[in-house]
Amino acid sequence: MTGLITRRRALALLGASMFAHPLRAAEEERPVRFGLTAVVVRENLQFFERWRHYLEQRIGRPVRFVQRRSYREIMGLLQTGEIDFAWICGYPYVQKREPEFLELMAVPVFMGEPLYSSYIIVHRDNPATSLSDLKGKVFAYSDPDSNSGYLVPRFLLASTGALPDNFYRLTFFTYNHAETVEAIANRVADGGAVDSYVWEFMAKTRPAVTERTKIILRSQKFGFPPLVTRSAADQELKRRMQAAILGMKEDIDGRSLLAELALDSFSPATPVLFDGIRAVAQRMSEGGKP
Amino acid sequence: MIFSHPRTWSLSVKLPLTITAVVVGVAITVGMAIVVQERDRIRENLEEKALVIARGVAGVAYEAVLRSDYWGLYKSLQSMTAPTDPSDNSTSILGGMVLDTEGRVLAHLNPEANPVGMPLLGANPEQRKWLREVLEVNAPHIHISRNEKGGYVESIVPVQSEGSVVGVVVLHLSTQEIFTRTLAAAGIIFAIAIALAIIGSMLGAYISRRMIRPLNALASGMDTVGRGDFTRIIPVKPRDKDEIGQLVESFNRMTGELAGKKQLEQQLAMNEKLAALGRIAAGVAHEVNNPLGGMLNCLDILKKKPGDETLIERYLPLLERGLNRIQAIVQGLLVELRTDQADSFGDGGCVEDVKELIAAEIGDRPIQLLWSNQIDSSTCVSCGHLQQVAHNLLRNAVQAVGDKGTVAFRTQVSGGKLLIEVEDNGAGIPEEVLAHLFDPFFTTKSSGTGLGLWITYRLVSRMNGEIEVESEPGKGSLFRVKVPSKSVVLPALSGAA
Repeated sequence: MTGLITRRRALALLGASMFAHPLRAAEEERPVRFGLTAVVVRENLQFFERWRHYLEQRIGRPVRFVQRRSYREIMGLLQTGEIDFAWICGYPYVQKREPEFLELMAVPVFMGEPLYSSYIIVHRDNPATSLSDLKGKVFAYSDPDSNSGYLVPRFLLASTGALPDNFYRLTFFTYNHAETVEAIANRVADGGAVDSYVWEFMAKTRPAVTERTKIILRSQKFGFPPLVTRSAADQELKRRMQAAILGMKEDIDGRSLLAELALDSFSPATPVLFDGIRAVAQRMSEGGKP
Repeated sequence: MIFSHPRTWSLSVKLPLTITAVVVGVAITVGMAIVVQERDRIRENLEEKALVIARGVAGVAYEAVLRSDYWGLYKSLQSMTAPTDPSDNSTSILGGMVLDTEGRVLAHLNPEANPVGMPLLGANPEQRKWLREVLEVNAPHIHISRNEKGGYVESIVPVQSEGSVVGVVVLHLSTQEIFTRTLAAAGIIFAIAIALAIIGSMLGAYISRRMIRPLNALASGMDTVGRGDFTRIIPVKPRDKDEIGQLVESFNRMTGELAGKKQLEQQLAMNEKLAALGRIAAGVAHEVNNPLGGMLNCLDILKKKPGDETLIERYLPLLERGLNRIQAIVQGLLVELRTDQADSFGDGGCVEDVKELIAAEIGDRPIQLLWSNQIDSSTCVSCGHLQQVAHNLLRNAVQAVGDKGTVAFRTQVSGGKLLIEVEDNGAGIPEEVLAHLFDPFFTTKSSGTGLGLWITYRLVSRMNGEIEVESEPGKGSLFRVKVPSKSVVLPALSGAA
């Protein structure tokens, strides 16, 4: 009985939509796919569920968050068009693409400015006070395409005149800033580089972990990991999504979600914001010599 | 009760104790067997767990080792060895590590002491030997070891893919779990054993009560029977048709029969008494009637001829003799009454008086009297009775020897008894006479009343003594009287009656 009714209703719906706005309606039902990377702490699934609902209401389309282990996989999905939006790191953003297929949509405002830095952390009991003290030790990177978790610590080390590839006894990737902190806290790695936003966020939500670590070095500030959109995406969709993201600070639900992310707001951004990262990437591609 | 010998314990204690002991014994034996089996099962489970975890780590380790993903390797090791229940802090995992083929640490559950990429150093040769053995393992291996911290299960699984070994997973699980879980199982099993023991002892108490109640009733019934009391036997109710039930039924039947027999005996005794009384009455009537007939004839004749002096002279002695005879009979019967009166007590010298009387009886006949009185003057005797008994027996003996012979009189005190023997070498007593010797009015003498030996017998009975006779026709007779010295010593023999 139930199956019959469902099928009949489905047919009726199908018929109605076909006669009204056939193509448009089918497009409206297709979920909008939004890629997430390790630039945010992704463990709180309930938060992302609420954010998804918020965005669905604002843009009038189903939204799906897509997660992958590495930044590179999310970049690949953007390139092939499997996802239209993503929250990526500044380093992949500044990498050369020919032709360019990404547009900046928004940049988070963190502690009053759209900037963050890289923290070099060690275990609380570790006597090291500088990067040089970590020679011959184990170092944890987050992702080979991460600015704060790979590019910047290598740059900082290169600035001291050391060769990053021989300096440590071992290095490994955690593919997650939060797990880099855990690796240091559990002493699997002696030192590690972590996104300052993630570390501060964890200091509030999981202080037991961050308390077992200490920051021995803070890098200069760089443009905060941006939210980007695929250039080829539907213009109307891009407009609606950007409006929803930028408008979050304007209503209670949005502000509550921002508070959970420990962010002030999302604001419009210009590519100039990432010139600092671009410069570092340029230096490192030239050998990293100071 | 506790300190007494078990043999003296009551059945109502022994039976429940035995049943309880048997139940406890069985429960403990079975329980131990189960506990041992359970311990083996738990140990096997633990070994399997150690192997499964190590294999799981080894399964994901190959890729991670090739990609130098030390963090991923550590996370796998940690998550697979994490307790399933977070509140369970028994820490059954003592240690876990992934080593490369050179013995360097790829991942370790204690990363602080065992840094990644560094050789797992054994400080002493024993540890180095252990490491060499671990690195030589080429197939999953498991065994139980023991160190100063206690026993542990060690599982070693090589990390390999298609024959190429890139490392080894080593896992140590505490065997404490075997102990605690076995202890828990043992606790449950022994609780069951105790419960069974309680049920068993209660059952034992019930069964023994059921069994012992009829036995106790039987015992008290037998006690009553033993005292000769057949009137107060309460039949025991048989509860079951078992051996005890049969015993109870037999006992009831036996006591019933005994009571009937006793009643019959009492009836018989009463009948005999009445018959004896009748015989005495008939004897008295007969003995008195005989002289009475003669005397009445004499009186008749005297009444018919009152003036005949010769008749008076002739018949008066006859009347006198008849009356004397009747008097003798009545006096003999009165002995019975006299014995009820207080008797005089004196020392053994009173028996000497009888010697005078017998000497007078013998007169100048050539009869030899052998007199041996051993009763010393300190022994108190019942004079009247003893004198009469001695006199009666001696007179019979003198009459038995006739004109010529020997009569012996012997007395002595021995073993708390006073013994009197009277012997003669007269005609003896025929066997058919012996059977009626002590009957009243039985006599073989023409002038006898037949009361002499009967009275003697009665007197000896009075003194709680006994009399026996040995006789051989033509050779003589021996009368032996035994009287307890108690009866001669105590003056209250008949005074209390």
